Amino acid sequence: MAETTATAMIEVDGLAKRYGDIEALQGISFKVNKGEIVGFLGPNGAGKSTCLKIMTCFIPPSAGKVRIGGKDVQEHSREVRHKFGYLPESAPLYTDMIAYDYLKYIGQLRGLSGKKLAERLELVASKCGISNVLGQIVGTLSKGYRQRVCLAQALIHDPEILVLDEPTVGLDPNQVVEIRSLIKELGSERTVILSSHILPEVLATCDRVIIIHRGRLVANGTPEQLQREQMSNPPVVLRLQASETVTEAKVLEVLRAQEWVEAARARPVGIPGELEFELRGKGEADLRSLAVTLASAQKWALLEVRRELLDLEGLFRKLTQE
Amino acid sequence: MRNIWVIGKREFISYFSSPIAYVAISVFLVVVGLKFFVVDSFFENGEASLRSFFGLVPAFFVFYLPAVAMRLVSEEKRLGTFELLATLPVSDAEIILGKFVGALGFLAVTLLLTLVYPLILVSLGDPDGGAIFGGYLGLALIGASFIAVTIMSSAWTGSQIVAYIVGAVLSSLFFFIDKILEAFWEGAKDVAAYVSFDAHFTNFTRGVLDTRDLVFFVTMTAICLVVATFSLNRRRWN
Repeated sequence: MAETTATAMIEVDGLAKRYGDIEALQGISFKVNKGEIVGFLGPNGAGKSTCLKIMTCFIPPSAGKVRIGGKDVQEHSREVRHKFGYLPESAPLYTDMIAYDYLKYIGQLRGLSGKKLAERLELVASKCGISNVLGQIVGTLSKGYRQRVCLAQALIHDPEILVLDEPTVGLDPNQVVEIRSLIKELGSERTVILSSHILPEVLATCDRVIIIHRGRLVANGTPEQLQREQMSNPPVVLRLQASETVTEAKVLEVLRAQEWVEAARARPVGIPGELEFELRGKGEADLRSLAVTLASAQKWALLEVRRELLDLEGLFRKLTQE
Repeated sequence: MRNIWVIGKREFISYFSSPIAYVAISVFLVVVGLKFFVVDSFFENGEASLRSFFGLVPAFFVFYLPAVAMRLVSEEKRLGTFELLATLPVSDAEIILGKFVGALGFLAVTLLLTLVYPLILVSLGDPDGGAIFGGYLGLALIGASFIAVTIMSSAWTGSQIVAYIVGAVLSSLFFFIDKILEAFWEGAKDVAAYVSFDAHFTNFTRGVLDTRDLVFFVTMTAICLVVATFSLNRRRWN
């Protein structure tokens, strides 16, 4: 037990936050170990940002504790603040400043100066790919570059922990890929906690995923575990060419008669002459091959068979139902 | 201490990175110049004193300095940069004091540019050095108070406009309180004179350096800055 506590970089214990009547967090507990990249996943308004704001000493919790490196964030606020770099949601920056001056400013407030500051600035600028825009006014930079400048700011003092609130929101797909790989690279040397409402993003970037929903923790596991959850018993969608003999009612009748089908329903398609059905099976068997076999036996013109993976909302529904 | 200086320096430089600062200073200098030379016809008075200058500037400051200080905290809140600033290893008091120092720098530049007036006086006659020095010290102190008042109102809101209005209204209230009180209640004259910025300032322009006036402005400034710090700190209360 003592050993696990020693490696826990962030300990969140029974964290709750109330804004008036709204309970943003309702008692969340988890640990983040040193060197882990942990994704904080949840739909908008789940309480992700609130949790990060408490961890970064911006607001206090209504109840519960957060310890960073064994120190309580409320009691040792200033000490704790040295340990992390923070990228707040939507990367707020002083738009009237030159990028170089901005990073220098944050570096100075982080306690750096002189040669050390100049070295760190150069290093984080090249790491974040902003060396070529350092002379520009922040307000004239693209959203992607601003995000990078803000990320560079969070790294300037070489923190042990990096806290990133929605680091890829508002970026174009190329920028998203770049930022993700940058986060992964940064995570090889330090503890990273990032929030997102995009499931694939977290699955691609993180060692561990913590899902919160309506202020409660609903899952805490590796991406593989989540993916398995996501893949287990997913519905299968079957698309057929309609004909005189192949009608919605007839197909449904046949489908429901199969012993491996738990439930079947027709779905609206929008393309004339095509029918679509959603099947749910019993047990873990892959319904796709069964559906193909059935279709050929029935001489249905099969247009498409696909497994429908759960999206984030679906996953939430599943996790919160259990 | 270092953090206050770093924040102050940024604020000071940021004033001059936008044209607003130059416009504000120009307007200030033109209005004061017109009043001094044209309206009060300095050259025809035959008097080597800055009395009319010191009479005008504090009243102008009531509207001018809130415009200088209004954005200091409110803009950080609006942009969301406050969240970042507040999660750096910097205390709320250091943030407020840093902003205050930055605005003081701007006030200093404004006052330095008006030093042409005393220079003209010296070249034309033999002015009372004590009164001029006292007047400038008074301007610095009353200016600092107006800045502190507006930093306080700026810490209450995320809107520069609201910060300006509240700052200017409070500043004029503090400045004109003796005249306002007197209008309603003659007996309040003594009390009014004690709390009025104007009354304390006038002592300086007479070349009278009374510690009571000094302590008054320093205290008012300190109170406003403390309230501003508490207002920022309020987010940490449950």
